[in-house]
Amino acid sequence: MGSLTKPVILLVVIYLLLKFVVPNIPGSAPLPSSLIFLYLMLTIAGIVIFATMSGESKDAFWGPIQRFLTGENIGALQTARFALLILFPLLVGWETYGSTAVSDAPPAENRTIHPAPPGEYTGLSNPVAKTPDNIMQGKGFYAAFCSPCHGGSFDGKGPAARGFNPPPANFSDPTTIAMLQESYLFWRIKKGGVGLPIEGMPWKSAMPRWEVELPDEWIWKIILGEYDGAHQSPRTWE
Amino acid sequence: MTRVMQRHIKESAIAVAAVALLVTGAAQGFAQESVAVRAVMTTNALPVDDPNAAAWNTAPQAQFPLSPQVHWQNRIQEVTVKDLKVRALNDGKQVAVLLEYADPTEDPADAAALEFMVGDKKAHFAHGQPMAQVEGGPVNIWFWRNKDGKGVDMSAMGFGTLKTQTHQDVTAKGAYSNGTWKVVFSRNLTTDHPAEDMQLKPGEFINIAFAVWDGRKDAAGDLVEKGSQKAVSSWWYFRAEAPPDYSGYLYAALAMGLALAFQFVLIRKLKKGQSA
Repeated sequence: MGSLTKPVILLVVIYLLLKFVVPNIPGSAPLPSSLIFLYLMLTIAGIVIFATMSGESKDAFWGPIQRFLTGENIGALQTARFALLILFPLLVGWETYGSTAVSDAPPAENRTIHPAPPGEYTGLSNPVAKTPDNIMQGKGFYAAFCSPCHGGSFDGKGPAARGFNPPPANFSDPTTIAMLQESYLFWRIKKGGVGLPIEGMPWKSAMPRWEVELPDEWIWKIILGEYDGAHQSPRTWE
Repeated sequence: MTRVMQRHIKESAIAVAAVALLVTGAAQGFAQESVAVRAVMTTNALPVDDPNAAAWNTAPQAQFPLSPQVHWQNRIQEVTVKDLKVRALNDGKQVAVLLEYADPTEDPADAAALEFMVGDKKAHFAHGQPMAQVEGGPVNIWFWRNKDGKGVDMSAMGFGTLKTQTHQDVTAKGAYSNGTWKVVFSRNLTTDHPAEDMQLKPGEFINIAFAVWDGRKDAAGDLVEKGSQKAVSSWWYFRAEAPPDYSGYLYAALAMGLALAFQFVLIRKLKKGQSA
């Protein structure tokens, strides 16, 4: 099977390049497996074209493969041959079953966690001064209105949280309010879960639409209290 | 096959079996956190009147956590029922859903409800309240209260719009024993009013949400949980299973046959070519 050594090595090298080297080129990203598969198929096509260009190279390339398949003179490789002839139809059957059988899994949830806010809620700055008094007031409002779900420790584990899916945000987690601007929080608190765009799945959200119950000033104070209590800072323009 | 090969095969078979046992054992432990209710198909009569029927044991149990309703006014900060167990059966014509939950006392105002979206539109779990950027549809609510002893078919599309439907299709029956309520809701899979009633197609996942009221009274004699003051859940999934579909096996067998035939033809052709 010497004629296959070089093509196999070439395929392995190309795979390793695509999987581990290309993603590290500046500006690049990990390649999806479907794309890697496509490139490998192209490589195989190129190898076959190259190997069968002349009469001699054709025989040198296909000869060992043919002999393996027909079982002629392959000695110890007989077991491998039988294994291949049995496994190939099994693999085909397995893949076919997988793509045609009815799935038991519920629909995949592809909810966008932080969908884009409407234009009028970008770029707002907090009109309330960041004073200890205002922070205290904000924390007081937080305790009254927000802590049942978001928790007294700002961790999303309030006493009322457990039945809700998606669960209330954990403000002490660095991927929540620490990644957002105050303007974004103002939108989310004021307009609530029902204010989300479709990719945010508003029908599932338990977040109240606080504009019905709280004046804007209280919401801005809650934002101050929330960042302070969760020991986080808002994301800034830079 | 040589001795060595036989031993290798035996060893790998044992390893695979061990891993399989481990995984199924772990899966049992995770059964508490469900995302979907499976209404398994049965050829027997559905136990629509009997929450205690043995037939329920053939249906897998899903469990969902409940929250006190703190999403909209009037809120309640603490409720009696914290978890809900759900089983369901269907016979191709009707569906029956069994709710089971712990409630220390049996009260006339004890109540439970199922909620569904209607038609193609999404609906917010809070009675289909309007959403700012998504056009929502109504919800269909199946309500049961102990003192009424029957199922009530209801509709809502926003706060304060809950109403009893003019046509009633839902039946419900509750049974209380030893601090546990068991309530069966049942209805035909489809009804004549698709604009107001959820229509269930076997094999299709739909959304379901739950609400429970403990009808206990406080020291002053007032109901603690009533109206919007209840235990609620978020949207989860529900599916009425269709009769088993073996078409996947059929396609697989066909594909395997084709692969085998391909192998035969290819090798025969190659052999002919070699001897030529």
